[in-house]
Amino acid sequence: MLNVDFNKLAELINRNVPGANAVVNEAADTKCDSSITVDAAKIYSVVEFLKTNKEMPFNSLQVISGVDYVEWMEVCYMLAHFDLETPREFILKVKVTDRVAPAVDSIVKLYAAANFQERECYDMFGIKFNNHPDHRRILCPDDWEGFPLRKDYIAQKVYNGMEVYPDGKMNFEDREFVVRQDMIKKAQTQAAN
Amino acid sequence: MQSKWDIGEPEKPTINTETEQLKSDLLTLNMGPQHPATHGVLRLEIWTDSEIVAHAIPHLGYLHRCMEKHAENLDYRGIIPFVDRLDYLAAMNMEWTYVAAVEKMLGTEVPRRAELLRILVAELQRIASHLMAFGTYALDLGAFTPFLYAFDEREKILRLFEEVSGARLLYNYVWVGGVWNDWTDEQLVRVAQFCDVMEEEAKKYNELVSKNKIFVERTANVGVFTVEDCLSYGATGPVLRGSGMKWDLRKNKPYSLYSEFDFDVPVGEGEEGRPGDCWNRYMVRMKEVIQSIKIVRQVLEKLEPGPIMGKVPKIIKLPKGEVYVRHECPRGELGIHLVSEGEKQPFRLKVKSPCFTHVSMLPHVAPGQMIADLVATVGSIDIVLGEVDR
Repeated sequence: MLNVDFNKLAELINRNVPGANAVVNEAADTKCDSSITVDAAKIYSVVEFLKTNKEMPFNSLQVISGVDYVEWMEVCYMLAHFDLETPREFILKVKVTDRVAPAVDSIVKLYAAANFQERECYDMFGIKFNNHPDHRRILCPDDWEGFPLRKDYIAQKVYNGMEVYPDGKMNFEDREFVVRQDMIKKAQTQAAN
Repeated sequence: MQSKWDIGEPEKPTINTETEQLKSDLLTLNMGPQHPATHGVLRLEIWTDSEIVAHAIPHLGYLHRCMEKHAENLDYRGIIPFVDRLDYLAAMNMEWTYVAAVEKMLGTEVPRRAELLRILVAELQRIASHLMAFGTYALDLGAFTPFLYAFDEREKILRLFEEVSGARLLYNYVWVGGVWNDWTDEQLVRVAQFCDVMEEEAKKYNELVSKNKIFVERTANVGVFTVEDCLSYGATGPVLRGSGMKWDLRKNKPYSLYSEFDFDVPVGEGEEGRPGDCWNRYMVRMKEVIQSIKIVRQVLEKLEPGPIMGKVPKIIKLPKGEVYVRHECPRGELGIHLVSEGEKQPFRLKVKSPCFTHVSMLPHVAPGQMIADLVATVGSIDIVLGEVDR
């Protein structure tokens, strides 16, 4: 990541946004990127602060990427500062633990880019974005069931009378599905509790 | 005497959507998914008031191929052909970005010759992609001839790529650790010859299209994005540069060996129209072709014999962690968010597609435009639906 002092930035966030609870996730491997996790309830205020502050502003949202870690889900906001002297970028994260009705606040009012990105995140992970102006699926059809990029996703067998996932379509023995099958079971039991 | 064709100043388009009565008069039109001007399977739902667009709503997903889900079940090398098929007009750049993300986590040292060859193919691919953009854009606006000229030159690049990688469009050429195949000296001589021809051709294109009165009338001051719009929407590449911001990752955050190269970053200067309109976006691409030729020539000077493949383990296992890597691709910045849990497959692969971002800007710019101008705007942001829908 570029030109970002994570400890300083986390301290800045904590000082200016009460309750943000910013924690630096130092990358275990030096080749990987570090990131900052904040409280999901405070995401709007944190991003608003990051956009408007004078010390370390970020004027652009690159992408919103969801990750399903089975025990929890993460929404990663790649924020960037397009500036010729000091370009910056870093990953801001929130953790969502509720698998049944996950929700975080929308940041469309701050960055217009968030509109489509949040819709995609909802489409793929089922994370609801409160106050989103146009909260629909984007890549899958509107009446599609399930959220494909969740680890416990199993494709629906029939869609609008068409068989889309027949038995034996996937050769489960051929590929390394064992890890994924474990994840599916784990996530299902978690959702059931 | 006033001729009968002279109808004076054209009336300014206005939309009446104040009253419910008039709202109900809006006509809903579907542009696409099978429409030649949308460059693929984009469906734009347009609400029109006679010929003026009141709203444009993009509907995506007609080319959704679940690439990100597939990637979670493939090993790291097996993903490269899938990444190819994102932006099928700039496959080399796509491969390189993905491979760069894997290499960053793996800590691979790439030999110098391989890096230079990557820059060579990336810049040639940029020229090919911009030629396609140029040809189809002129075609959108009703000029058929430039399309043929552009494809003539593009074909030369594709032939070279075919010789060196075995495929015309989807190469699987850039591999983790280096490149798959070396270029022979004879092929490099042909690249140099191509650069000379292309430079002359680019002048011809400018004479033929760029300053053409009809072309300028159709594109200048149409579909204007300000720099603030671009930053808020996260636009990058020629769209951002067309608005006048001198931002290019190859210059501002040099990756690979780009810091050794001497080239300019063209921006929309408003020779016709004003920065941010269709003409300036188009012109940035035409100027970038010249800059890419400049880079290719420098690559040819720097190339020295050497290995083209670094040391890579037979089975790639990445450490636990994540990276976000972005590269400057012909259509904007492609970002790869790669999350690994230490397995042979990625835990999550997210592709930040520049075209996806640019499509999201259409509802912002469309209201108040004529339908024909909307076609000009969609063409000028140069989308590839393979990358939008993934």
